[in-house]
Amino acid sequence: MLAGNLSPTADWNLLHDRFYCKQETYLMLWKDMDLSKFIVAAAPYGGPIAMIRDDKKILSLQNQTIKPVMHIYTSSGKLINQFQWDKGRIVGMGWTNTEHLICILEYGAVRVYDIHGEFIQFSLGQDAKEYGVLECQLWETGLVVLTGNYKLIAVTDLEEPRPKQLADPGLHQAPHSWTIIPPEFTLSKHLEVIVAVNATVMVVDASSVQDQMLSQGPFSGMSVSPNGKFLALFTTDGRLWVVSTDFQKNLAEFSTNSSTPPVQMTWCGTDAVVLHWPDTVLMVGPFGDWIKYSYEGIVHLVPEVDGVRIISDERCEFLQRVPTAIEDIFKIGSTAPGAILFDALEHFEKKSPRADENIRNIKPELTEAVDSCIEAAGHELHTGRQRALLRAASFGKCFVDSYNANRFVTMCQTLRVLNAVRHYEIGIPLTYSQYMRLTPQVLINRLTNRHHHLLALRICEYLGMNRDRVLIHWACAKIKVSVDDEETLCRLIVEKLGGRDSGISYTEVAKTAYETGQTRLATKLLDYEPQAANQVPLLMSMQEDELAMIKAIESGDTDLVYLVMLHLKRKLPPADFFRIINGKPLASSLLECYSREQDRQLLRDFYYQDDRRVESANAVVVEGYESGDITERINKFKVATKLYQDDKEHLFEAKATDDQVKLLNLQTTLERDTAHTFLDLTISETISKLLILGHGNRAAKVKADFKVPEKRFWWLKVKALVQSSNWDGLEKFAKTTTKYGYTGIVDTLLRANTPAATAQAQKYVQMMVKAGGQQEKDAQQFIDILTRSSSAGGLSLGSSRRGSLRT
Amino acid sequence: MQAAGVFSTGAVKDHARQELIDLLDSVRGKKGLVIDPSLSGPLSLVAEFTLLKEHGVEKIYHLAPGKLDTDCKSLIYICRPKVGHVKCIAGHIQTHSQHGVKISYSIFFVPRRSLICERVLEEEGVFGDVIVGEYHLDLLPLEDDLLSLELDSAFRELYLEGDTTAIFCMAKALMKLQTMFGLIPRIVGKGQYARSLADLLLRMRHEVLASAEDEEASAKIFPGFSEIDAMVVIDRTVDLITPMSTQLTYEGLIDEVFGIRSTFVELDPSMIGGPSAVPSGGSSTAHTPAAATKAKKVPLNSSDRLFAQLRDLNFAVVGGLLSQVARRIHEDYEGRHQARTVTQIKDFIGKLGNLQAEHQSLKLHTGIAEEVTKYTRDKDFNSMLEVQQNFVAGIISKPHIDYIEELIDKQTPLVQTLRLLSLYSLVDGGLKTKQYENFRRDIIQTYGHEHILTLQNLARVGILRKQDTSRHVYPQIRKAFRLIVDDVNEHQPNDISYVYSGYAPISVRLVQAACQKGVGGGSTTWEKSVAGPAPVGWKGWEEPMRLLPGPTFEEVQRTGDTRVVAKAVKPKQKVTLIVFLGGCTFTEVSALRFLSQQDEGHREFIIATTNMISGSSMLKSLMANFSRAPLNP
Repeated sequence: MLAGNLSPTADWNLLHDRFYCKQETYLMLWKDMDLSKFIVAAAPYGGPIAMIRDDKKILSLQNQTIKPVMHIYTSSGKLINQFQWDKGRIVGMGWTNTEHLICILEYGAVRVYDIHGEFIQFSLGQDAKEYGVLECQLWETGLVVLTGNYKLIAVTDLEEPRPKQLADPGLHQAPHSWTIIPPEFTLSKHLEVIVAVNATVMVVDASSVQDQMLSQGPFSGMSVSPNGKFLALFTTDGRLWVVSTDFQKNLAEFSTNSSTPPVQMTWCGTDAVVLHWPDTVLMVGPFGDWIKYSYEGIVHLVPEVDGVRIISDERCEFLQRVPTAIEDIFKIGSTAPGAILFDALEHFEKKSPRADENIRNIKPELTEAVDSCIEAAGHELHTGRQRALLRAASFGKCFVDSYNANRFVTMCQTLRVLNAVRHYEIGIPLTYSQYMRLTPQVLINRLTNRHHHLLALRICEYLGMNRDRVLIHWACAKIKVSVDDEETLCRLIVEKLGGRDSGISYTEVAKTAYETGQTRLATKLLDYEPQAANQVPLLMSMQEDELAMIKAIESGDTDLVYLVMLHLKRKLPPADFFRIINGKPLASSLLECYSREQDRQLLRDFYYQDDRRVESANAVVVEGYESGDITERINKFKVATKLYQDDKEHLFEAKATDDQVKLLNLQTTLERDTAHTFLDLTISETISKLLILGHGNRAAKVKADFKVPEKRFWWLKVKALVQSSNWDGLEKFAKTTTKYGYTGIVDTLLRANTPAATAQAQKYVQMMVKAGGQQEKDAQQFIDILTRSSSAGGLSLGSSRRGSLRT
Repeated sequence: MQAAGVFSTGAVKDHARQELIDLLDSVRGKKGLVIDPSLSGPLSLVAEFTLLKEHGVEKIYHLAPGKLDTDCKSLIYICRPKVGHVKCIAGHIQTHSQHGVKISYSIFFVPRRSLICERVLEEEGVFGDVIVGEYHLDLLPLEDDLLSLELDSAFRELYLEGDTTAIFCMAKALMKLQTMFGLIPRIVGKGQYARSLADLLLRMRHEVLASAEDEEASAKIFPGFSEIDAMVVIDRTVDLITPMSTQLTYEGLIDEVFGIRSTFVELDPSMIGGPSAVPSGGSSTAHTPAAATKAKKVPLNSSDRLFAQLRDLNFAVVGGLLSQVARRIHEDYEGRHQARTVTQIKDFIGKLGNLQAEHQSLKLHTGIAEEVTKYTRDKDFNSMLEVQQNFVAGIISKPHIDYIEELIDKQTPLVQTLRLLSLYSLVDGGLKTKQYENFRRDIIQTYGHEHILTLQNLARVGILRKQDTSRHVYPQIRKAFRLIVDDVNEHQPNDISYVYSGYAPISVRLVQAACQKGVGGGSTTWEKSVAGPAPVGWKGWEEPMRLLPGPTFEEVQRTGDTRVVAKAVKPKQKVTLIVFLGGCTFTEVSALRFLSQQDEGHREFIIATTNMISGSSMLKSLMANFSRAPLNP
């Protein structure tokens, strides 16, 4: 697969002061390919290649069908999937960072395919539909299209597509060329579109259009560097011009002498531009140096973060700047410590004493030498040289006193993984830099997506990563294709995934089973799900209402209980709904809370169907109080009284509510008779008010009607007399009720806190002293209060406790 | 007051602060902030106004129904997920759009979004206009050793309405805490909901680990050490007696008299020593009733050194301490006369700032103490306290019952009456049938018919009920846990019972039983028991624990990699987390702080509670609540 064991520098080319090399990664597995007839889109990070026949090209009708077919290949040209295309003309295609294929259709629709041909579709809006889509540009997470009426429409998040029209650049004809700078690279962090109009370019974003006032145009092609900092422009008179994307810095200019614009123009890393015309690939460096490669016909260039992948009819190659670590070691005449260490190993293997000499020469930099050999091994694509470099590192670290071998071990692991995925059967030609940027986790996801479950699982185990995602994906895939009966399938899956204790989430697996119509299997699998909260939504969609409710309650998350409750309430007839709620205390409580605030009728129905009379009655009482209309309030209270009476334990409430009706009627009469307000007063307050107003007889009647205890009536009367400063009346009353003593009277007088009342209090205190016995003792506290000045004495607490506790 | 601990709630606060900043930055440009009034206290503990300003907040509004006039182009709402709030926000949006005002709205629910609220937004037709997010402000550090969810109606929701959202919130918050300070190896507790919380924690841990990306990530979820050695979960229904008693510590009494909300107390400005510069010491300044002056919000926390010194003391001691401090400050001021040389003067000037701050704080606390004294000197307060203390000591006689009757006859505020009556019901295993009937009749006739609902609520949570066939166990509990301590010394306390002048809260006795294996009674037994290596748990207390309601449990969380634990665990001092479901009182906090200081600070207690309560706030939350319409005949 990889080039033979030539000298490592054999295919290096110098571009100004830097080496570039082009290496073959694969001989393509496809046969009789003619790329010139196809629209091609290849994903970065060694991703898949999608292609469909370009209907603008002439078709020879030898042994091909007329209907176009979408093919998806790996980078090694192995067919992953193909499906018939009959959805209309494709304007452009591209891949997202989740390896979804985006196809933009002429009539303004976008289809998002996964690698297996399953898709979702969305529309780009009215303008795109009406005028059609002329051209499009994509980046990892979004796209921009140019519509037939020369408007730009952008979708910045393909996960949640919301087509939005950008500012109108005011075009009347198609621009010479245009490109985009993805949001993550612009200063404003918003998408920018660069459009070539006449001799200048316009920068368009969501709200504004800015003319850059250039005169070098017109530009027939442009390309933004992978880091978004530079823009390569190709003028109609054949010059390549590189500027910074803020148009402040002029970086390079190069004349190609070609009046035809290149078929493709892209970047190789961030410091060389690669142009492609039929039969030719030309690389231009920052100082006008260039390297030319010859090809037959058309190739396809795939920009990568650290180079460019060149896909031709026969092979897949990778063109990159030679990584510094490799250059240091293999450059002819290099004296870097790594190079000397590598050389030492060769001598050592030849049993030459120069090995020792070499090592001694670089003794102080030996650690650095070992590290650079390790790093070079990482960047090296050739397995033989990888091995040689690692051997050199291993040899070198023997001479270092305490070398931390972690780097060495990690690199060996990484290389094993990389070599495994680079194998042509898998066909993901990742470089070390790409892998570091992609992260192992994403690589695992991509492998599982391509159904390389076993390899993904092995890598997970090898790198000590969680295998759950792989296993779940496998199980889902298994369910989709399996013809086994549900019992066997369930056993198989549980065996592989581990039971409930494994902590693995079964929700997604169960959901797949449900979606493929295997409901029983779904229920069975869902039972293995450790998180109750995860089970609930699926159970709901599976119509397992009761179970969903039970699981929601189990989770302890009240919001989840509400989720199920509201769902069921909408869906089920009341009787069925209540049947599920009844007997589940948390669900019942939450229903009560919710309906008390939001839906009174529901509350009434709930209590009624469950025969909860007392709660019904309570609810009716509340309704009574919330009504300002006296007749309605009385009626409600009458209803409540009846409901309370049905429960032997609540006769008190029945009586109290009945009394309240009586009281309201009585107060209505009183208001009529006395022209004072009485409504809403309590019984005690009613008596008080009557006493103060001097309606002694009526007060006495209220007392009798409602069986108010004598003692309370006495207190109310004393209070009323003090309040109306009726000292004679008070004295008379005190004399007729000596059994209650004077304590209460003095207390009430002192509480009134007026000079007159205090004087009266003095009088009664003296009477108490005179009475002697207990009364005299009680009088003492009042004497203290009356004589005490406001500031004397300390703070003391609890001093009034019984002596026995204080011994 | 608190011993310098290893555990710090600062990290919790930083976390909340960072999240607030991220939330503000998620909206571009200048913005208005609309805050749920119940969150303004908690938020002000997390971030100061200047921080909000730095992150583009131009104006702050309180969430209130009606029109919201603003010239801000974007509004951020931060509120609890309550239907009322959401309706109010929907109202704002609707009026704005009617007037053609274009504003972008974001709502952040604290601590979690709720489906009901989103439903309401949908029903009101504004769901598409708002960005809904979450602000996970859960356990809020009220103090270095005190975390609260600040869920005001937690007790009502949990025990009356059966809505267990608060437990879920607590579990989530404790999981977050464990990701910061390590898994807590032992979870012990008492009570039905305490059990639910522990179950939820164990389940969540399992779930979190299961959903981790890979082994490396799952190992990173919980740190490899445990800063907290154990957690004791206490269900409020295990100890309803304590909150019904009047708190007698300085902070507790401030709460009883003025009410403390998220460490803030609202005071009449004249109390804090208005413009007069004369140190008011012990002399009583004429108290001018300034009805027009607006109440001032004063923060009460340990950054006020004097308050830190006073807060946990029995109020009886406070007066003396205040005058001592006054004398010292006076002497320090006098120090300026001794300053002769330039260096001495410079020294004095250097101390001056500190001295002035102290002086200010002294003024504040003499003001408060004076006001509290008025309250504690009151004859009614003392009679009430006497009856309370007799009740908890198990002495119940006719005059005490008559006293409650008299409270009703005198139309004393309902909460006070209910508090004493409830205490009676709790210590006596319920009221006798006839008594129950009479008290209920008296309450209805005096305070209003709607309280049939209040009384039902109290019966349902078991605070005030009729005697039934169940055993009457309080006397046994009292003896087993040594709740009554006769020789309490408020000045030099040797037992937690000082916080109630002779009654030790059951809840804290449980903590002692679990952690110290003894409930006091001479320091000798203590030293002996603490020396033992027994882990936190109920061993030896199985019998007495059975007297209290709800399950008793002990769970062990294995922390897996023991190697890491051994390496990073802090030696010497242990930190134990006490979790209260349904709220805790300031006296309980003080009692736990007292325990932290015992035994040379071997074990420090950290408290996490759903909210701070007093008997009154708890009873108020249980009252019938509905909007009563005025009657028109």
